[in-house]
Amino acid sequence: MTDLGTWPAGPGVQPAGPPSGSLADLLERVLDKGIVIAGDIKIDLLDIELLTIRLRLFIASVETAKKAGIDWWETDPALSSRAARDALTEENARLRARLAALEDADADTSEVTR
Amino acid sequence: MSTLPADRVSATAPEMPCPTVTCVFAVTDTTPPHEAVSVTPGHDGGGPLRVLAAGPLHLIVQDVPAAAFGEEALAERLNRPDELERCARAHHRGVETAASAGPVVPLPMATLYLDDDNAVRAVTARAASLRSLLDRLRHRTEWAVKVHGPGLGHASGAAGDGPADGRSYLRRVSERRRTEREERERALAQAHAVDRELRRHAVAATRHRPQSEQLTGRSVPQLLNAAYLVDDARRAEFVRAVGELACDAQRSAVEVTMSGPWIPYSFARSDETERDAHEEAGA
Repeated sequence: MTDLGTWPAGPGVQPAGPPSGSLADLLERVLDKGIVIAGDIKIDLLDIELLTIRLRLFIASVETAKKAGIDWWETDPALSSRAARDALTEENARLRARLAALEDADADTSEVTR
Repeated sequence: MSTLPADRVSATAPEMPCPTVTCVFAVTDTTPPHEAVSVTPGHDGGGPLRVLAAGPLHLIVQDVPAAAFGEEALAERLNRPDELERCARAHHRGVETAASAGPVVPLPMATLYLDDDNAVRAVTARAASLRSLLDRLRHRTEWAVKVHGPGLGHASGAAGDGPADGRSYLRRVSERRRTEREERERALAQAHAVDRELRRHAVAATRHRPQSEQLTGRSVPQLLNAAYLVDDARRAEFVRAVGELACDAQRSAVEVTMSGPWIPYSFARSDETERDAHEEAGA
C-alpha cells in the first residue's frame, strides 16, 4: 500500500494539528477504539493507524522513552512484530541494492580485465 | 463480506447521480434529537446525518460518496495526515451528536455499508452485546490523564566545571549520569503512583502508549498516558483527586494534566464483542 521505504519521512509530514496533544488524543481514540462491527467495505484501520500514526509515533518516541525507562509497548505484539518486519524489509531492500551495485561493479571489472 | 465493485467506485460521470454508501458513526439506545443530528456536519461531500432504527437501537449514519469511501480511495486519503484529521474530526462530531441524549458505543472511523439495510442487519446481529455495553457505559465518561516527566538532562550540572584533569572529568560525568537516572526512576515511580491512586476513583482504567514529543509538541517525555472510566456521580471526586496529584507533582519535576470528559471511546469494548470480532475475522 504505502511505501514504507520512504518512511519515516522528513519533519514536514507530522499530523497537522494543535501541539496541545488534543489531536493526538482524538486520533488515539477514534482510530483505535470502539466496538468493531465488520462493514461491507473493508478498511484495515490497523494498517492506516500503523502507517500514519502509530509507527511514526513509535519511532519518534522510542529513543526518548527508552531513555526514560518506559518500555511497556514492547509487549505489544502487533506493534513490535510490525516494526520488526518493517526493519527487516528495509534491511533486505538495502542489501539487495548493495548486492546489485556490487554485481554491476564486478561485471564492469571483469569486462576491463578481459 | 463483499467489497465495493471497482466500476461503482469509478462511476463519477457528472450527469449520473453520485452513488453513496452508508457510514455508521455510533450506536445508541436513546434517540438523539433529530434536529441536532441533521445539522451536525459529517464527512465532506456526504449528506446530512440521519438516525436509523435497528430494533431497540439507533444508528447515527450518513450517506457518503462511494467514490471517496472505496477501499483504495479511503486508504489513500487516510494516509494523508490532513485528510486523516478531517475524517477523525468528522467522525468524532457524529459520535458526539449520537451521545447527546444517552450512552453511545462509537464504531471505528469509517465503518461502511453498501446500504442502510446492511448496516441495520449488522448491528441487529450484535444487539445483545451492544446493549450490555451501552448499559456499562451509561452515566459514565472517560477522562484522560497524562504525566510528563522531567526533560532529559534536566539535572545535568556542566561537566566542564571543576578541575580539568581527565579523572575528575570522568567522575563528574558518571555522577551526572547517576543523578539523571535516579531522577528518571523517581519520575516514573511517581507516574505509576498517580495511576494507582486514580484507579481507586474509576470503574475501569487503561493505559495508552505514551505519545511522542513530536505529537505532543512538548520537549519532555510522557511517562503516563492513561484513560479512566468514571461514574458521573463520582466525577467531582475524580477531578479533585487529579487536582491534588497535580499539586503534589508541582513540587517535583513531573506534571500531571487531565482532559475530559470524553465519550468513553477507550472503554467501548467488551470481551464478548472482541471474541465475536475475532470469530468473524476468522470466518
